[in-house]
Amino acid sequence: MSATDMPPRASRGRILVVDDSSLVRLYCRDVLERAGFEVEQAINGLEAMEKVTAATFDLVIVDVNMPRMDGMSFVRALRRSELTVASIPSLIITTEAAQQDRDDARAAGANYYLVKPVSEADLIRHAAVLTGSPP
Amino acid sequence: MAPPDLQGGRAVHVTHEDVRRLCEFLYRRTGMLFDESKRYYIDRRLSERIAATGSESFQAYFAVLRSDAREEIEHLVNAFTVNETYFYREDHQLRCMTSNLLDDLLRRKQAGDTLRIWSIPCSTGEEPYSIAMWLMENWSEVDRHNIEIVASDIDTRALKAAAEGVYGARALMRLSPSLIDRYFAPVDDGHFQIDPGLRESIQFTRANLIDPREMSSYRDFDIVFCRNVLIYFDDASRRIAAESLYDCLRPGGYICLGHSETMSRISPLFGVRRFPDAIVYQRPEAA
Amino acid sequence: MPFVRRGATGEADGTAAAEAAPQLTGLTNPDPEVRWATARRIGGIAAAVPALATALEAEQNLRVREALMTALMRVGDGASVRALLPYLRAQDAALRSSAIETLQALPDAVSPFINTLLADADPDVRILATELVRNIPADRATRILSDLLEQELQPNVCAAAVDVLAEVGTRDALPALRACAERFRDTPFLPFAIATTIGRIASSG
Repeated sequence: MSATDMPPRASRGRILVVDDSSLVRLYCRDVLERAGFEVEQAINGLEAMEKVTAATFDLVIVDVNMPRMDGMSFVRALRRSELTVASIPSLIITTEAAQQDRDDARAAGANYYLVKPVSEADLIRHAAVLTGSPP
Repeated sequence: MAPPDLQGGRAVHVTHEDVRRLCEFLYRRTGMLFDESKRYYIDRRLSERIAATGSESFQAYFAVLRSDAREEIEHLVNAFTVNETYFYREDHQLRCMTSNLLDDLLRRKQAGDTLRIWSIPCSTGEEPYSIAMWLMENWSEVDRHNIEIVASDIDTRALKAAAEGVYGARALMRLSPSLIDRYFAPVDDGHFQIDPGLRESIQFTRANLIDPREMSSYRDFDIVFCRNVLIYFDDASRRIAAESLYDCLRPGGYICLGHSETMSRISPLFGVRRFPDAIVYQRPEAA
Repeated sequence: MPFVRRGATGEADGTAAAEAAPQLTGLTNPDPEVRWATARRIGGIAAAVPALATALEAEQNLRVREALMTALMRVGDGASVRALLPYLRAQDAALRSSAIETLQALPDAVSPFINTLLADADPDVRILATELVRNIPADRATRILSDLLEQELQPNVCAAAVDVLAEVGTRDALPALRACAERFRDTPFLPFAIATTIGRIASSG
C-alpha cells in the first residue's frame, strides 16, 4: 500500500517495527520503505520475539509503551537471547525526554532512543546509522 | 475488492483499511492474529458475516461487532476457527510434540518419571485420542515411558460422548484407512468406536478453565493443549485462565494454543518457543 | 499401551487448600511462591482489597505483581480500580502497562473514572486513559475523544486518541479530527495518523 514510483533497488536493510498502534506501524513502514528499507511489523514484544528468531533483521524499532511486553522488557529479552538475535541494534521510541527514560533505555541495552512524535528525517537518519547502510 | 453478497443483494464494498480495522479489533478482543498472508481467508469470512447480519456496509457491520449484538463476536470467531472437531486436527502441533517437545522435557526428567499431557477443553474426545494415537504411531520411545493423558471439559455430555468414543466418518476424515483399522472398530450405521484399550487409557474429567479453585487440583503437566477456547473469553476470564494454566504446568512445561492464537494478548507469564512445526508457549524453567 | 491412568487428577492437596479461607498474611511471606499462591486464592473478596493494595506497593516479583493485579481485577469494584490507578503514574513502563491492562478488563468499574483520567495533569496518564475508551460504545467514545482532541495541546495524547478513534470512531469524529490535523499540521506523524483515521471512518458506508 505504500505508494512509490521509485525503481526497486537493493534493500538498505531489514527493519522490524514493533508498536501496538497500527497507525505508528504504518507510518514507520511508509517512511522507511520510501527510504529504501524493507519493513516488517509486530504488534508487541512477544510477537516481535517470534519474528526475530525466525528471520534476520538489521534493526528493531520498538515503542516503550506496549501492553504485555513493554519496549524495555523486549530489548532486555533480546539482549539475553542467543548471539545473532542479541546483537540486533535496537531503537526505542519513548514519550518523554526525561533522563529516566534515557537511562532506562541505555540500561536495557537499546542502542539509541527517539522521542515521539518522531519526524521522518529523524527516523530515516537513525535507521541508516543503526543499520550501517550508506546514506 | 467487492465480494458478492451471498444473498444475491447489493455487494458490500470492503477496503483494505476496513480489514485492518477488523483484524486489530479481533486481536484486541480475542488474541487471534492474522497477518497479510491471511487476507483472502479474512475477506471471505467477513463477507459471510456481513451478509448473515444483513449489514448494509462494513461500518454498520463493525458497529454490530463492537457492541457484540446477538453475540456476533462469537459468530465471527466461529467462522475463523472452523468450529468442528476431528481427529488429527492441527497435527503440526502433534508433530512438534514428538519432534521437539518430548525430547526437551525428557532431558529434565528422571528415569521412570511420568509424562503428563492435558487436553482442555477435550470436547467429544477427538483431541486426546489423537494425542494418544499420534504418540503410538510417531514416537519411537513411546513404550519406554509412562504417559498419562488427562482430558477435561466443562460440558458433561461431551465428556460422556468422549468416554464412549464413537465417531462418524467425518471426524475420521484425516485418518488413513490403516489407522482407522488399527484403532477403531466399526459399529452400526457408519460409525466407528475407538479401541477399548485407548478409551481406558485416558482420564476424562469435568473442569472449568475459568474457575481457579477447580483448576488448582490439576498440577505438574508437561504439555497442555488448550486450543481455540481462550479466544471466546473476555479479557478478565482469559487472564484468570492463563494464570491457572501456568500453575497447572511443571516448570519448563509447554502449552499449545490454536494456530491463530497468540499468548501475547493473554498473559506475560509464558515465554515463546518457535519450533519448525509450531510456535508453542512455555512456563519458564525453574531458576 | 504405554498410557497410565491414575484415580486422582494430580498431586492433590488442592481440594483442602481451596476450601480454607485465604490467609492474607501469605501476601507478605518472603517466599514469592507463597505470595503467588495466596494472591491466586483470593477470589474476588472485596475485603481483601486493602491488603492487596498494600502488597502491590511493595511487590518486586513480576509474576506475583501480575497475580495481585488479577486478584484486584477479580474484585472489580471502585475500590480495586482506585487501588490500581496510582500505577498509571509509575516510572516503570512495565508497571504502567500491567495496570492499564488490568483496568481495561474492567470497563464498567472504570467508566466513572474516565473523564477525570482524561483531564489528568500528567500527559502520560492521559495517553493511557485513552485506551480505556476503547471499550465504551462508539457514540459516547467518539464524543469523549472528540472533546479531548479539541482541547489537547500535547501531540502524543492526540495521537493516542486518534489511534482509539481509528477503531471506535463514528463520522461524528470527523470535524474534531480535521481541526486537530490543521492545528498540528507542522508536527510529525499526527497529520498522517489523522488522515489514515479519517480514511477508515469515512470510507466505509
